[in-house]
Amino acid sequence: ILMLSLALGTMITITSNHWVTAWAGLEINTLAIIPLISKSHHPRAIEAATKYFLTQATASALMLFSSMTNAWSSGQWDITQLTNPPSCLLLTAAIAIKLGLTPFHFWFPEVLQGSSLTTALLLSTAMKFPPTTILLLTSHSLNPTLLSTMAIMSIALGGWMGLNQTQTRKILAFSSISHLGWMTIIITYNPKLTLLTFYLYSLMTTSIFLSMNSTNTLKLSTLMTSWTKAPMLNTTLMLTLLSLAGLPPLTGFLPKWLIIQELTKQEMTTTATIISMLSLLGLFFYLRLTYCSTITLPPNSSNKMKQWSIKKPVNTLTPTL
Amino acid sequence: IPLIYINIILTFTISLLKILIYHSHLISSLLYLKKIILSLFIITTLTTLNTHSLLTNIIPITILIFTTYKTTINLTLLISISNTYNLNYIHNLNLLQY
Repeated sequence: ILMLSLALGTMITITSNHWVTAWAGLEINTLAIIPLISKSHHPRAIEAATKYFLTQATASALMLFSSMTNAWSSGQWDITQLTNPPSCLLLTAAIAIKLGLTPFHFWFPEVLQGSSLTTALLLSTAMKFPPTTILLLTSHSLNPTLLSTMAIMSIALGGWMGLNQTQTRKILAFSSISHLGWMTIIITYNPKLTLLTFYLYSLMTTSIFLSMNSTNTLKLSTLMTSWTKAPMLNTTLMLTLLSLAGLPPLTGFLPKWLIIQELTKQEMTTTATIISMLSLLGLFFYLRLTYCSTITLPPNSSNKMKQWSIKKPVNTLTPTL
Repeated sequence: IPLIYINIILTFTISLLKILIYHSHLISSLLYLKKIILSLFIITTLTTLNTHSLLTNIIPITILIFTTYKTTINLTLLISISNTYNLNYIHNLNLLQY
């Protein structure tokens, strides 16, 4: 029932041209996901659910307020017709809270940490989709300077704060923050590239989450001993992690390349260089993850050969994209 | 009259600030969330009644419906928190820091 309501919520926001339908779809999404987060009756999970709920509720209220000021000044509730500049600013701030961009990113790693791996997957891929569609619909009337500053800061923060983490879910949270920065930097110039980056990012993160779900690795230390359980999974995990980092022969490099190309077309070469330098920070902990998963050997040899047959063939296919 | 408009926007902004700078309890932030949405509701009813458009009359009612959903989930989360925690203070929400 919950998955159906999630799908319904996303479909409502995607197919909306009125502000109230978009808001309603977003509320349905938050409503559906909160019991998923707090399913395990662990205090950490419930705390994560409350944090998530508070932030998302304020963001949706802000969005409603921006639509209302727009309706007051221009008399219409169409999504593509944002004519009031302060309502545009408020809307970008509200969607930034929802997505987890940099001034408002504080809830995201903690919420991902408190939820189980599958719900974390849902949170970071499926829940990002409706706010990005709203951004896409209004991309021609948004404020580029605010968006680009938020995006650069989010890439920087995603790289810096991910350096000291040992919990894999927090690492993936910071990686998603930096990827969101990449997505939002190009949205005012070429919104199709944001869609492309979103699809590729969601594919890669689903593969990583599912592989981590099958071996149940929550810490770096469990990553080191995971090669005994399913060796093929380990190699594919390494490849997907490297593609998340954006190394050239793998598919993760493609959106970064195209974004840098678009930015240089708009004569923003300094931002392009800054972004590419900051993604090196992310590369460090991706490399550390691959190093821990494949190259190191555990102190004691463990002969666990448990059979995890859930969605393994997906992971072997996705890095070969 | 723009004075009423300014008043309601003031309520919205003050309650928003109250959410961001919470005092000690979580319940207060939830209350101010409710107040935000109520102020928004008042704004929508004013706009729809002033413009005399028949299609936009549905908007305040639908907002109220979704706020009832939200408030139910508010209260259930509060109950679960009070079941698992000893206190309701916000400084107790730092289990996920490490």
